[in-house]
Amino acid sequence: MSQAAAVHKRTAPVIGRAAVVETATTDPPWLRARRDEAWSIYQATPMPSTRSEEWRYTDLARKLRLDELVVADGDRGPGAGAGTVLPDALRQTMDQDRDGAGRIVEVDGKVVSVELDESLARQGVELASLRDAARQGDGDIQRLLATEAVPASDGKFPALNAALWSDGVFLRIPRGVHVERPIRLSRWVSRPGNATFTRILIVAETSSRLSFVEEILSPDFDRTTLVNSAVEVFARGGAQVQYVSLQRLGHGGFYLANQRTLAERDSTLDTLNVALGGSVGRVDLNARLLGPGANSDMLGLYFGDTEQHFDFNTSQDHVSPSAHSDLLYKGALDGSARGVFRGIIRVHEGAQGTDAYQTNRNLILSDDAIATSLPNLEIEADDVRCSHGATVGQLDAEALFYLMSRGLTRGKAERLVVLGFLGEVLARLPMGGVVEKVTNAIVAKLRNV
Amino acid sequence: MDNAPILNVAALRAKVADEDLEILKGVDLTIKPGEIHAIMGPNGSGKSTLAKVIAGHPAYEPTGGSVYFGGEDLLDMEPDERAQAGVFMAFQYPVEIPGVSIANFLRTALRARLEEDEELDLFDFQELLMDRMELLEMDPSFAQRPVNDGFSGGEKKRNEILQMAVLKPSLAVMDETDSGLDIDALKIVANGVNTLKRESPGKSVLLITHYQRILNHISPDVVHVMVDGRIVESGGPEVALELEARGYEEYRKAHAA
Amino acid sequence: MPSNEVIQGLGLDDYKFGFVTDSEPVFRTRPGLDAEIVEQISARKDEPEWMLKRRLKALRIYESKPMPKWGGDLSELEDTLRQTYFYVKPQEQMERSWDDVPESIKETFERLGIPEAERKILAGVGAQYDSEMVYHSLKEEWEAKGVIFDSIEDGLKNHPELFRKHFGTVIPAADNKFAALNSAVWSGGSFVYIPRGVELETPLQAYFRVNQERLGQFERTLIIADEGSRAHYIEGCTAPVYSTDSFHSGVIEIVVNRNAYFRYTTIQNWSNNMYNLVTQRALVNQGAHMEWLDGNLGSKLTMKYPSCYLMGERAHGEILSIAYAGDGQHQDTGGKVIHVAPNTSSSIVSKSISKGTGRSSYRGLCKVYDGAANARSNVECDALLINETSRTDTFPYIEIDEKSATVGHEATVSKVGDEQLFYLMSRGMDEAEAMALIVRGFIEPIAKELPLEYAVELNRLIEMEMEGSVG
Repeated sequence: MSQAAAVHKRTAPVIGRAAVVETATTDPPWLRARRDEAWSIYQATPMPSTRSEEWRYTDLARKLRLDELVVADGDRGPGAGAGTVLPDALRQTMDQDRDGAGRIVEVDGKVVSVELDESLARQGVELASLRDAARQGDGDIQRLLATEAVPASDGKFPALNAALWSDGVFLRIPRGVHVERPIRLSRWVSRPGNATFTRILIVAETSSRLSFVEEILSPDFDRTTLVNSAVEVFARGGAQVQYVSLQRLGHGGFYLANQRTLAERDSTLDTLNVALGGSVGRVDLNARLLGPGANSDMLGLYFGDTEQHFDFNTSQDHVSPSAHSDLLYKGALDGSARGVFRGIIRVHEGAQGTDAYQTNRNLILSDDAIATSLPNLEIEADDVRCSHGATVGQLDAEALFYLMSRGLTRGKAERLVVLGFLGEVLARLPMGGVVEKVTNAIVAKLRNV
Repeated sequence: MDNAPILNVAALRAKVADEDLEILKGVDLTIKPGEIHAIMGPNGSGKSTLAKVIAGHPAYEPTGGSVYFGGEDLLDMEPDERAQAGVFMAFQYPVEIPGVSIANFLRTALRARLEEDEELDLFDFQELLMDRMELLEMDPSFAQRPVNDGFSGGEKKRNEILQMAVLKPSLAVMDETDSGLDIDALKIVANGVNTLKRESPGKSVLLITHYQRILNHISPDVVHVMVDGRIVESGGPEVALELEARGYEEYRKAHAA
Repeated sequence: MPSNEVIQGLGLDDYKFGFVTDSEPVFRTRPGLDAEIVEQISARKDEPEWMLKRRLKALRIYESKPMPKWGGDLSELEDTLRQTYFYVKPQEQMERSWDDVPESIKETFERLGIPEAERKILAGVGAQYDSEMVYHSLKEEWEAKGVIFDSIEDGLKNHPELFRKHFGTVIPAADNKFAALNSAVWSGGSFVYIPRGVELETPLQAYFRVNQERLGQFERTLIIADEGSRAHYIEGCTAPVYSTDSFHSGVIEIVVNRNAYFRYTTIQNWSNNMYNLVTQRALVNQGAHMEWLDGNLGSKLTMKYPSCYLMGERAHGEILSIAYAGDGQHQDTGGKVIHVAPNTSSSIVSKSISKGTGRSSYRGLCKVYDGAANARSNVECDALLINETSRTDTFPYIEIDEKSATVGHEATVSKVGDEQLFYLMSRGMDEAEAMALIVRGFIEPIAKELPLEYAVELNRLIEMEMEGSVG
């Protein structure tokens, strides 16, 4: 192990231009050019500071030292690539995903296996390593990768990702095809002190149907280990898409995700973000409602303990009239965890007939936990129905008493109430496998309460 | 009883204002003072649209025919002018007006009916309101609640009846006032209408309903059946019973053009 | 959607306080601001040395702080301030009788109805004209009970110890750029002391009038409500309509001692060429009760977030905010409640109406510090939009460091619904009456909190009193 670490140290590049060049070696010219441009945007963009509204409660300068990280590459070093013996934790969670219509496994930023049901492949469903698909020169990828959804110009980290991404997932569902069971991505990060950059590009063509679940896991780390994702989801007219992200990194994990969903006319594009692991988790999610009849349900659940820090920055952009969005993020905070929710509904000029809602609820379980909630509205049309609500509270004493009067211990009663509180989110997206998995993970965390 | 009709609807056609969807396809209907008419019909037959066109709802656009109220062309009038002329529509879904008490609302509505140099005496108004509430056996505190805000279904209907009692229209159009009501609430509506009819027999009522059951409590002089935007049959109360027995399906088939 | 004629018929844009009075100031500083001007203001007021030093220090703080980047558009403010007169003295001395106030100034206040209101319903009146209080009086019965109601300058002269103990402690100069500016050039405003246990039955009122074109008015008010006292203070503001912009930046500091009750009401109806950037804050001690009733109807841009610092156990803070933004106006208003002690409670209720190209923004903070056990706070914001071009925003900040706190925030945005309009019209009201009724119902929860005379004033100001006048 120490020998491997030594080898690793010699070859792994730090975050810098050299890493971009190395990552781009086998890329087609258009992609190399795109990475170069992204790198210059990265360099020209200042690090987000707490002086900006969006980063007010997550002090990146203090929490993340980019110069101490090395860029992960699944191709490099021993024990990676196809045929790798997968760690137990990853195997376990994959075993629970047997029902998937497609399965893809990513280790240290590199896709190591892709499986897709025969019948779906025959219908033209494409599930592939993003790197491979990009090299094969797919026109959709060239047109949609880091352009419309999460372009480098979006910010410091979208730029860094667009420059340095090593692999990820490309998934396209053809017109009218219904994928009934979820497609699952299992991600594993193993190397402490690494920075992993991956992307997901999902295109659901007109009237198609799809559920996609990604889950990221890692062991505990003795130092900060960065995982950065860019997620781009396109739902064409009438398509129905569910995107679920489960973040279960170990201690030391630093998760930064930029997600954008684009919902066209009469499509449904629902998302669920679950944050349970890692030391710091920050998710930027932007839902754009681009056509009349488009609908996005946006769900989120976070449960922090020890010194975990979760920060969600969501926005609902109603560009088109007569679209609907409904956001519910719920969090429980124990130990000296901190939860930050900042959400904004923007009803653009002319987006009449908008229905947009936003709710954030927090449960504080300990003296040192902190909850911050900033639900914002910006309305530039008059024929709208918009509301938002935010609450911060403790366990309901009445409910606890009721359960205890039925014979439950205080601990059990508390666990039950927390589970019920968070369970409301899962009940809104009752996807097979996800509910059980998340519930079990919450129960495991609750044992420490 | 004066024999000139109070309401005369002739060859009325109407469509949804923003779309090319025609709903009324030539309705003829004549109501004389003192008469109670019921229009029954399946969902989507246009009966509720007829009520709204009579009241002047902006969601519908008349495209042909006429509606005369007394001697006046209703289709030329704004909704408030129609109300002031004596048309009252009891809404199927009464609208909430938060922060505005029923008393204040009715005072404003009455004041709107006065000439410019007239004043509504506050005491007269109070007396009228109390008198009407007593007549309908309502608790005086009801008038202090904000209009329909947080009301149960039954309370909303009660509020419609109270407004009708205060504003004293010569034609009351009840737009499916009975739908979604339990039997107690249904009786409130029926008793209200009957009480007001007893008080001034010259008033006319147009009852729009999907169900026969309200006709057990309010006896109509004429019953019409409406299917696909036209009145396809008219007669005495027996029409309602027949309809109840045979269902709408037969009418629909018979008149499918 | 109501028609344009109806919206115009509402008359929301009629501004009847826009007249100019022809009066010559007795002194005025040159336009712009520097240390010399601060020294001139201080010298005119014959101040002690410590106050001049404070002013100069505050000026340095002001110069060192950047313009805020949030809230409203302040991009033209720096230009405006270069042209602004920071101090304009309208008469030689403040008077205690209206008879002694110069005729033209007195007439202004008569047109605004102040002397009449004083006779009828007020315990005391202060009237500021440009940079100085021109009139201040308190009914004798309250003076006999030890109530102090004076200009801020006389507070400093006549009650130096009480003044110095509290001045700048609630809102230090470094709090924000405009608090620093006010601390450097303040002039006018009230000094109020309500002694222990004294309960004022009728309100005190201060009236602020700007007459000079391109004036900067910097009222400074310090209020101490001692233990168990009770009082209500009202401020009203108007100005002429000029084509150039004016500037008003007040600092209001309030100390509410144990078990006292204090209410501060603002009916701000500046003309649409006024920047109105005000800092208002109350320290609320044990068992005390503070209420801000903030009505923002006028100005070009208002940025104003009255705040309650709940310092003692069981302290309670309440903010009722109503904003009307017509064409070209931006009301960036709201409130802050800071829970420091256990068992404190607070509520914020905000209602805004945006019409034409008007924009109203709610901006608020609810902060519960660790240790403020059982703190409770509830925030409700409702916005009503009249036109397609109207705009509203809601920016609440909720920061909770205490496990046992219970905090809720709810906001809704609605427009005057077509169904609502039709329902009312089907009962015989014309469109304008129907509109007025709906809008009045919308603000009713706050309007009913006003003393009757002011509720009527508010109704008239926003032309809610429509019945019979339109149609």
